[in-house]
Amino acid sequence: MLEFDFLQPQSLAELMVALDETGGSILAGGTDVIPRMRSNLFSASTLVDVSKIGELSFIEERAGEIVIGALTTHAELMNSEVLRSANPALVDAAASVGCNQTRQRGTLGGNLANASPAADTVPPLLVFDAQVRLVSSDSERTLPLIDFFVGPGKTRLGPAEVIHTVSFPRLTGAWGAAFQKIGKRSGMAIAVVSAAAAVVLDETGKVSDARLALGSVAPTVVRSPKAESILQGQQPTPKLIKAAAQASAGDISPISDVRSTAEYRRHAATVLAERAFQQAVDQAVSLVGA
Amino acid sequence: MKSIQISFVVNGKAVTLSSAPNRTLLEILRDDLGLTGAKDACGGEGECGACTVIMDGAAINACLVFIGQADGSSVETIEGLEDNGNLHPLQRTFVEAGAVQCGYCTPGVIMASKALLDENPNPSNVEIREGLSGNLCRCTGYVKIVEAVRMAAEEISHA
Ligand SMILES: Cc1cc2nc3c(=O)[nH]c(=O)nc-3n(C[C@H](O)[C@H](O)[C@H](O)COP(=O)(O)OP(=O)(O)OC[C@H]3O[C@@H](n4cnc5c(N)ncnc54)[C@H](O)[C@@H]3O)c2cc1C
Ligand code: FES
Ligand code: FES
Repeated sequence: MLEFDFLQPQSLAELMVALDETGGSILAGGTDVIPRMRSNLFSASTLVDVSKIGELSFIEERAGEIVIGALTTHAELMNSEVLRSANPALVDAAASVGCNQTRQRGTLGGNLANASPAADTVPPLLVFDAQVRLVSSDSERTLPLIDFFVGPGKTRLGPAEVIHTVSFPRLTGAWGAAFQKIGKRSGMAIAVVSAAAAVVLDETGKVSDARLALGSVAPTVVRSPKAESILQGQQPTPKLIKAAAQASAGDISPISDVRSTAEYRRHAATVLAERAFQQAVDQAVSLVGA
Repeated sequence: MKSIQISFVVNGKAVTLSSAPNRTLLEILRDDLGLTGAKDACGGEGECGACTVIMDGAAINACLVFIGQADGSSVETIEGLEDNGNLHPLQRTFVEAGAVQCGYCTPGVIMASKALLDENPNPSNVEIREGLSGNLCRCTGYVKIVEAVRMAAEEISHA
């Protein structure tokens, strides 16, 4: 194992000092960092362990806004009643991460900072237009989560900057949201393709807002404006949903890798897009006029 | 690399030690504390679950915890399950159901099962399989493992 010094700040204030003084790297649940260090894919002269900073671990609703601390684990996301009612797609995505052992340690902040195009929490956050709040000792900024990702493993996170919280507005009226994922097997699998959809219907049952995000089919998780615009303002019939899902192929650029081929991904993305849209629409329809 | 001081509780006993920070909880348990039940079967990738122990009530992979992260925690390992020579119901039902073959996966599977039953005393077969999805077994084919966990659940709920 590589060598490093180890610091364990107990508060956000101590964390800022530790990062400024050492230029160290953050360690949260360690489920990405430790295997990468073991394979010599990552090294750091100092690891700054954030796992004891309780103030970064929470899920709250503030005036219609859902706010999640970066240290919240996948197990906490999947068991949250607030999230089940506000973003069921995120609950299902968190429940699909690895296995129980991975979910008990792995955090939301780690999943985002890792910037994998297959990161499961990202599609459900993108379809809720989530924002991410980044803090350092001398700055604080909030940016749309979609702009946070630059490419595989690359983000806009500056040196000594920390993901503090992720937030998104609660949808109101007749809405639904869904997450779909295909891996190489049903349990313990990184996504070959993933999809999240959110749909809002007006009082006549027409789509007033349609959002689709696809994972593992481009350098970052992407939204699909082509698919979204087909549903906008229309009755969401199964035929139209299929057409929208097909159109999403125009917004992705899948590659072949160890997990799958570009051809398979292109096809699977449209299938998952259709399922996610349909599931979201079914939920929303049950709420029209409710 | 500066060594660090760690205090934690292992199977109910307070332990304080000093270690290089790049060692994992699994290495400390096995090499320093002589608790060799938890095993490394995948090279510390988080893939096999043979290193599963319970830390602060949650099943975790001890290969994916640097020892400094265990400071202040309470850890339970397979060695802590028996009570004055009496096996834990899970240990007994694993033997009775024939859920142990080579045994390499068993300590991890039993600790993952214990965490599952602590949280959900009456799991369905699907919930048992889901709760153990991070634990690989190359011998048994899992059927007898699921049976053993169900038998233990029944025994615990009737106790
Ligand atoms: C067996 C296994 C299965 C997995 N399966 C899945 C899966 O199905 N889906 C999936 O999406 N992922 C999966 N993963 C990957 C991983 O578990 C997740 O990405 C997890 O959310 C990472 O969080 P962590 O807290 O463990 O991150 P760490 O490993 O602690 O950190 C990861 C990166 O994030 C940085 N970081 C962490 N927190 C912050 C913060 N607050 N601010 C700034 N930077 C930060 C770290 O510096 C590091 O670069 C799996 C991993 C394993 C080992
Ligand atoms: S040794 Fe395989 S998961 Fe820890
Ligand atoms: S009994 Fe041999 S690996 Fe499970």
